[in-house]
Amino acid sequence: MDNAELKVELEKLHSASFGWALSCCGRDRGEAEEVLQTVYLKILEGKARFRGEANLKTWLFAVIRNTAISEHRRSLLRGLRLTADREAAIEQIPVYETPTEGFERSETQAQFQNALKSLPARQREALHLVFYEDLSLREAAEVMRVSIGSARQHYERGKKRLRETLGQTDIAYGISWRAKENPGAV
Amino acid sequence: MELVGEQKRIQALFSELRLADEQTAPRFAAVWNRAQAASSQTWRPARALNLSFVAATALLICALVSLALWSKYSQQNARQAIVVVTGNATPATVPVEVVKDTAGDPPLSEGSRDRAASRSRAKRLAARRRELMLAINLKAAREAKAISNWQSPTTALLKSQNDELLKSLPQLNESADDLKSFLTNTPK
Repeated sequence: MDNAELKVELEKLHSASFGWALSCCGRDRGEAEEVLQTVYLKILEGKARFRGEANLKTWLFAVIRNTAISEHRRSLLRGLRLTADREAAIEQIPVYETPTEGFERSETQAQFQNALKSLPARQREALHLVFYEDLSLREAAEVMRVSIGSARQHYERGKKRLRETLGQTDIAYGISWRAKENPGAV
Repeated sequence: MELVGEQKRIQALFSELRLADEQTAPRFAAVWNRAQAASSQTWRPARALNLSFVAATALLICALVSLALWSKYSQQNARQAIVVVTGNATPATVPVEVVKDTAGDPPLSEGSRDRAASRSRAKRLAARRRELMLAINLKAAREAKAISNWQSPTTALLKSQNDELLKSLPQLNESADDLKSFLTNTPK
């Protein structure tokens, strides 16, 4: 696959890639964009090369995941030095509300995102890849670089834990769940 | 059945999230162009780094080669100096002239002249060796003599006038008169 073809394919996968990058970066949009840019840079420089051994989507997601992990490590090291500066800078940044933030503030989504954040990384990744990106468990396992059995375990545990976390909240959807499980409780 | 319902609910929440993300996702062209720009910027420092690396490697190799040559020549010089010093120290370097009367001899051919020259060289070497051995023997003899003649400077202090009385003892086979004369103060 030459660069022009690859570019077309990457463009098709762009929004899905951004969503995955968001998930890998703890839903930090700036960081996710930076990670995606780094991934494209790696592809342009030939540091990440698609050899056709796997599906392009799973390969790209694996590259995004690895890049996000290494960027996170780097930012942690940087953060040790710049914590004080960043805190001062954050205090000076004016707060503007974007439509997305408005959406995220909606109660159901806020609860859901908090529940997702409370999950262990592997479980969150498995759920995101299956439900958000519509990947099969086998493909999710490829992206996460684990066996399919392990991916299935993370997926099942993640689902159970997400259900428990959401069940503890008072959002309507949680109440309906509990009502189904134990009709006498509600 | 409930599992399917549960999955549907999770799916619905994720779909909602995906829709929101798609609305706020940056344009592909923008991110791609930024990556391309970064790629062209990072290329130059990488090339400069490569050039500096090559230059540094070349300098290092030059330094190593010159060091190796210098050490080799210094070793050779040191060896030559040792040979000169040891050569000057031996008495064998004193030229010994072997006088040979060749006035009455008939003219020599080329081969016989060479043989004569080698013979005279051998004689000269033998004479040098003899002289060297003689010098060494003479030196050793001188040192041995000096050692045997040496006396301690405090030997005189160990001597006294009564040394003979203190050192002589009466013998069993001496005569009684001698014993009496020895014991002068005893009553007779």
